[in-house]
Amino acid sequence: MQFSLNGRNIAAEPGETVLSVARKNGVFIPTLCHHDAVSPSGACRLCVVQVSSGERSRIVSSCLYAPSENDRVETDTERVRKVRRMVLELLLARCPTVELIRDLARAYGIQRSRFTDGAGPSEERCVLCGLCVRVCDEVVGRHAISHAKRGIQRKITTAFDTQADECIGCGACVRICPTGALHYEDLPEQKQPERVMVELHTRVPLVRCSDCGRAFASPALFEHVSKSVNVPPTTLAACPACRSKSFAATAAQNPPSAPAFARAHARTYQSQLLASINEESS
Amino acid sequence: MIKTPQELIAARDSVREHFFNGWTRIRVGMATCGLAGGAGKLFEAIREQNEKNNYGFFVAETGCNGACFLEPLVDVVLPGQGRITYANMKPSDIENLLLLTFGGRVYTKKAVARATSEHLLSDDTEIPYLQGVIQPDVQKVPPYSEAPFFKNQVRIALRNCGIIDPTSLDEYIAFGGYAGAAKALTQLQPEDVIDEIKRSGLRGRGGGGFPTGRKWEACRKANGAARFVICNADEGDPGAYMDRSIIEGDPHSIIEGMIIGAYAIGARIGYVYVREEYPLAVKRMRLAVQQAEAAGLLGENIFGSGFDFRIRISRGAGAFVCGEETGLIASIEGNAGTPRQRPPYPAQSGLWGMPTNINNVETWNNVPVIITRGAGWFSSIGTPSSKGTKVFSLVGKAKRVGLVEVPMGTSLREVVEQIGGGIQDGGEFKALQTGGPSGGCIPAAHLDCPVDYETLTSLGSMMGSGGMIVMDSRTCMVEMARYFLAFLKEESCGKCVPCREGTLRMLETLSAICEGRGRPEHLDLLKELSEAMADGSLCALGGSAPNPVRSTLHFFEEEYRAHIEERRCPARVCKALIEYQVVRESCTGCGACARVCPVKAAFGKKKAPHEINNGLCTRCGLCADACKFKAIKVA
Repeated sequence: MQFSLNGRNIAAEPGETVLSVARKNGVFIPTLCHHDAVSPSGACRLCVVQVSSGERSRIVSSCLYAPSENDRVETDTERVRKVRRMVLELLLARCPTVELIRDLARAYGIQRSRFTDGAGPSEERCVLCGLCVRVCDEVVGRHAISHAKRGIQRKITTAFDTQADECIGCGACVRICPTGALHYEDLPEQKQPERVMVELHTRVPLVRCSDCGRAFASPALFEHVSKSVNVPPTTLAACPACRSKSFAATAAQNPPSAPAFARAHARTYQSQLLASINEESS
Repeated sequence: MIKTPQELIAARDSVREHFFNGWTRIRVGMATCGLAGGAGKLFEAIREQNEKNNYGFFVAETGCNGACFLEPLVDVVLPGQGRITYANMKPSDIENLLLLTFGGRVYTKKAVARATSEHLLSDDTEIPYLQGVIQPDVQKVPPYSEAPFFKNQVRIALRNCGIIDPTSLDEYIAFGGYAGAAKALTQLQPEDVIDEIKRSGLRGRGGGGFPTGRKWEACRKANGAARFVICNADEGDPGAYMDRSIIEGDPHSIIEGMIIGAYAIGARIGYVYVREEYPLAVKRMRLAVQQAEAAGLLGENIFGSGFDFRIRISRGAGAFVCGEETGLIASIEGNAGTPRQRPPYPAQSGLWGMPTNINNVETWNNVPVIITRGAGWFSSIGTPSSKGTKVFSLVGKAKRVGLVEVPMGTSLREVVEQIGGGIQDGGEFKALQTGGPSGGCIPAAHLDCPVDYETLTSLGSMMGSGGMIVMDSRTCMVEMARYFLAFLKEESCGKCVPCREGTLRMLETLSAICEGRGRPEHLDLLKELSEAMADGSLCALGGSAPNPVRSTLHFFEEEYRAHIEERRCPARVCKALIEYQVVRESCTGCGACARVCPVKAAFGKKKAPHEINNGLCTRCGLCADACKFKAIKVA
């Protein structure tokens, strides 16, 4: 399948998106609501490109659009830049304190938004990209959070704005959020240590590391990880720091061969992400 | 049960005979518009007196005949004489009406039009009511062909509305109903049906105007384990109610259209997605589906053709954006009604990921008569690119408002001036808003343009589903754009940035202009924002959301400038930019203004000229309405 990308003839797999082809070929397209770990959504409209076939030309989001044979795709025309500039100016008006938005806006020559005059300073950090919702649903498989309401009232929340029993406190939503709109706080000193998902009305109990005694993850997370990577929950009882210490000790005594090591640690993307989340919380 | 085309014809003929044979029938227009006008009470009163006095009239309900300005409407069929339409009926009229009807006479005071025969469009049959000599009483009533609201209309979609009883399958059949389905299923191959629709030139009546036959063909050719057809009855444009009236007045026409479409496409299940805010439409549709199932017109082996088809009703929960087809599909699936990017189009991957064909109510309703009368007949009506007729809901400042159906290519002027009767209270025409909130306005200079998809689009408006709002010199175009943006801001699903944030900021900017806080740079900002929203939005709601602003800015920029540069609202509508003043010479000091003023801003001594304290005044206008001497003016 051949199409032209900024004037270059490029081959693409059928069904492959413009964004994916562009990245492989070193063409930069800015994105906000896109992440390789989750399905594309087309919500932020920052990755728009101009597609021409025959006489007609239109603007599509590159994260969703799979080019057809002989399409001419341009990633940085004035028409494209106009849309991106306006998207960023609108987002800057919504989230003036978010560094990422300010940087992106500056990159497109926007220092301040014309839409904010007279308005008080906004503390809003969420751009409603929905990555947290998708990672929770598609990667973690819990679907603990979702979008609620519509239009400008749209928000990310749990069902009925209350404790989400589906939440396992993995923190994937917090990690994937590009604007720092979501947080959690651990309360390890409590009699029953807890993780508080600050914006999501949810508290998850934590258990202590079998070695060092630090409160680090929830029983629900153990269960979830043990099922999805097929390891007994007991191997997860130690916190990642303690686990790597003991692994290092074993490996020093009995170094595995490289292929066996690779086999033993070949993991799905899902388990890698979950592991990195565990790492993060240490 | 109707199992063969022969049984359908037998059923048709027996009901037809019953329908036109000498019974005195009284019909009350009981669609939502009629009920709002008080038809419910009227209906009860007629039934009660009919029983009490043993008149023996056959009393039933019917849908809306389109003349909403005449509601409530009552039709009386006088045997051998004709069908007489009475307008603006009140319960106090009933006694006289029934008494005169019993004597074979006409209640002339309220009679507005009469029909001496019915034209049954489906099989092109003219069945006369009139037998013998026309009575002098009846003769005084103008025939439908001379009634100004009706004479320029051509009724295809509204063929049965206001004439048959929408709760009676028999009457639909008597008027030629299900003959199209019988013909398609027993005489035509699916490809022939698609070919017929393609040749007819029928295009989507929901607004897009995509050729219906091509849409069906794409869906038929797509790979999938199952296929679906959907009727989009999520009509949500403010001031538009064509689809509601068709469902309320002629629900079986949609079922029949869907049977034909499903047969052509190869679907076995259809959905009618109707908004919950139309309770009567939901009720009528549900009843019609039950009747069709009971009669064997839905279900297995329809007309003995081996084709199975069922219809389910899915109710919308009140989101305008669910009229967008990908949002609608998400909603039927039980998800939140948020659109997704197309392609893939629903014809490739729609409901439950299967090939799906979505058409609007009016499109489905046109299908049966195209099959019975043929593509040649249908395509002889209209313009080269737009065939057939289109129903519009003509509302706003026109004298005669209601549903009108005209051939494509009719000039806008004809619709507004001849059918609509021009502007109320001798006002001056200013603009016609078409296409709903995503459409645009057309100024007087373009009023001679024909109604078709291309012309309206080239004027910066669109056909849309058929809303037509007449505006006169008392309408402020900035305020009008603000009104539509307020609607769209509420209805944006919020998924994509240009629509969610853009409609908010556009509304804020328009509000600033209306409230006297407009700045010259706002005009460029509106233009830039419009362009980015049109290009960058995910679905058609956001893509067309700037249309009210774009078209008013294009045709009425000087009005925006007056608001911004002179702090003046030329139409004298924007409250922050007007003042109520007393004309001292005309004021008699009667005190009417002071009595009605809710904030005590109008004051004065008895028999002395009054004054208005503009600091207190909320610009509600009650004083000006109350003044009999036109002594209060808006400046």
